[in-house]
Amino acid sequence: MQLAQIAADLGLECLVPLEPEREVRGGYCSDLLSDVLAHTQPGDLWITHQRHLNVVAVGKLREVAGIVFARGLRPSPDVVARAQTERVNLFVSPDPAFEVAGKLYRALHP
Amino acid sequence: MRWWRADLHIHSTLSPCASLTMSPARILNEARRVGLDLIAVCDHNAAENGRYVRRLAGGAPVVLMGMEIQTAEEVEVLAYFTDEESPLLLQEELHRALPDIPCDPELFGDQVVVDEGGEIVRRVERLLLSPVSFTLADIVRRVEQLGGITIPSHVERLPGGLLAVLGLFPEGDWPVAVEIAPWTSLADACRTWPELRQRSIVRNSDAHYPAEIGRAWTEFRLASPTLDEIRNAFRNRDGRNLRPSREAKEEP
Repeated sequence: MQLAQIAADLGLECLVPLEPEREVRGGYCSDLLSDVLAHTQPGDLWITHQRHLNVVAVGKLREVAGIVFARGLRPSPDVVARAQTERVNLFVSPDPAFEVAGKLYRALHP
Repeated sequence: MRWWRADLHIHSTLSPCASLTMSPARILNEARRVGLDLIAVCDHNAAENGRYVRRLAGGAPVVLMGMEIQTAEEVEVLAYFTDEESPLLLQEELHRALPDIPCDPELFGDQVVVDEGGEIVRRVERLLLSPVSFTLADIVRRVEQLGGITIPSHVERLPGGLLAVLGLFPEGDWPVAVEIAPWTSLADACRTWPELRQRSIVRNSDAHYPAEIGRAWTEFRLASPTLDEIRNAFRNRDGRNLRPSREAKEEP
C-alpha cells in the first residue's frame, strides 16, 4: 500500500512529505533503536516515541517507509531538517502508538 | 605517575534500587577492603550522598563527586565533578525536571540521604528512577559548563545503555570514553559494537549491594587522582592511560 494512502487513512501529519508512492509493507513499534536496527524490515512504517536525532540515521539504514511519532510528539527542527536531507519520511500522529499500530494493521490486512 | 584502581560507579542508599546498607561508612569499608584508590558514588539523578562519603573518606580512597543521570531519551550518563557545589546545583535542576511521581518505597525502594555517622538526613520524595526532561545533548553540555565530564553508562546494556537505546553513537566527538557493564567481555562488546574500538572503555562495579563493590574496576595511570588527569587518560594523552578489569561472572 502506498505511503500517501496510509498517511490519509491513519490521519498522519507529514513533516517531510517526500515519497508519496513509497510502498508500505508492514510496521514496527519500538523506542529502542538497537532493537529497530535488528528487527525492522525495509518498507516498515516505524512507530516510536524516541525523538533523538539518531532516529533518522536508523530509519535510513533500515530503509523504513517512514517514521511516525505517536501521541502528538514532535521532533525538534534539527531532526526534521536531517530527515529532509536524508530523504526519510517523517509523520506525527495524534493517536497513541497502540492505535496507530491498530489502524496500520487494519489498513494493511483488511 | 602511578596506577590508581578506580570504581567510578557505585550506588548508595539514595538510589531506590540500591540496598539500604549502602551507607557512606559501608561503601568506604568495602572500597578499602578491595583496594580501591579512587571511587565515585553515582546515584540516579542525585549527587548528595557523595558529599558524606567524601568527608568520611578523608582522602583514602579519593572520592569524586558524581551521579548517574537519566536523560529524556532514557539514556543513562555518568557525570563527574571535582567540587561539591556544581553537582548539587545540577541535582536541583534535575529534580525540577523529573516527572512528579512520588517514590513508593514498597514498590521502588527507599531514597535516603545518609551522613557520615549513618544517620538519615532526609528522604527524597520524588522518584529518582525516572528520566529528566533534558535531552542527552543538554545534559552533556550542562555538565561541561559546570566543569564536569560525562561518559555513558553500560553502553551495551538495557535499561539505559547509550548504544542499546540509541543504536549508534551521536554525531560529534562525544563520548571520548564509555563504560561497559561488569559482565561483558571487551571482545564481545567490540564485536557487537565495532565503533567501541575508537573509544576508551572503562568498567565499574555499578554496585547496588556491598558485596558487588570490587567485582569490576578500571586502573588509571595518572600523576594525581584528579578529573583533569582522568580526562587525559580518556584521551590517552601525556602518558596517561587506563585499563579496565576483566569481566565479572554474571550472577543468575
